[in-house]
Amino acid sequence: MENFNNLDSPDLQGFITQEKERAMVNEMVAKLTSACWDKCITSTPGTKFSSSESTCLSNCAQRYMDMSLIIMKRFQNMH
Amino acid sequence: MDSFPSHSSGSSPQMSAEAFKDQLKNQLAQAYAEEFLETVRGKCFEKCITKPGSSLSGGESSCISRCVERYIEATGIISKALFSASR
Repeated sequence: MENFNNLDSPDLQGFITQEKERAMVNEMVAKLTSACWDKCITSTPGTKFSSSESTCLSNCAQRYMDMSLIIMKRFQNMH
Repeated sequence: MDSFPSHSSGSSPQMSAEAFKDQLKNQLAQAYAEEFLETVRGKCFEKCITKPGSSLSGGESSCISRCVERYIEATGIISKALFSASR
């Protein structure tokens, strides 16, 4: 990196922050897809998801977010 | 992430910001693709190759292609569930 002279230019910093966020989002989606796939897709994959499978996937992701919030709050109450 | 600058032509020690951005994006995309593939391999192996035989059966092959399709679809569903306005 020492060859790179303007790493701290605001433009580049903005770009890096943005890419970092994108990577975090992608990682989150990947992690949740893996976890929810295991929970919701219990039979051999078909040519289409059943409506209960896609609802389960969707609920799974949203409940994970709810849970994260609860856990965060719980830990904020500790000193 | 070990080789950003060395990728540009060896004679020039500096790299334009645009080239740096492109390279970063490409490397991130490649890392994402590799990780995604590895996950899909794991998931579909688990689902479709339940009793490994002496060769891949037709049923196993078609299970694998369905599984890959569904995993991609599942990724979209999760992404939509997380970021859609309905939350």
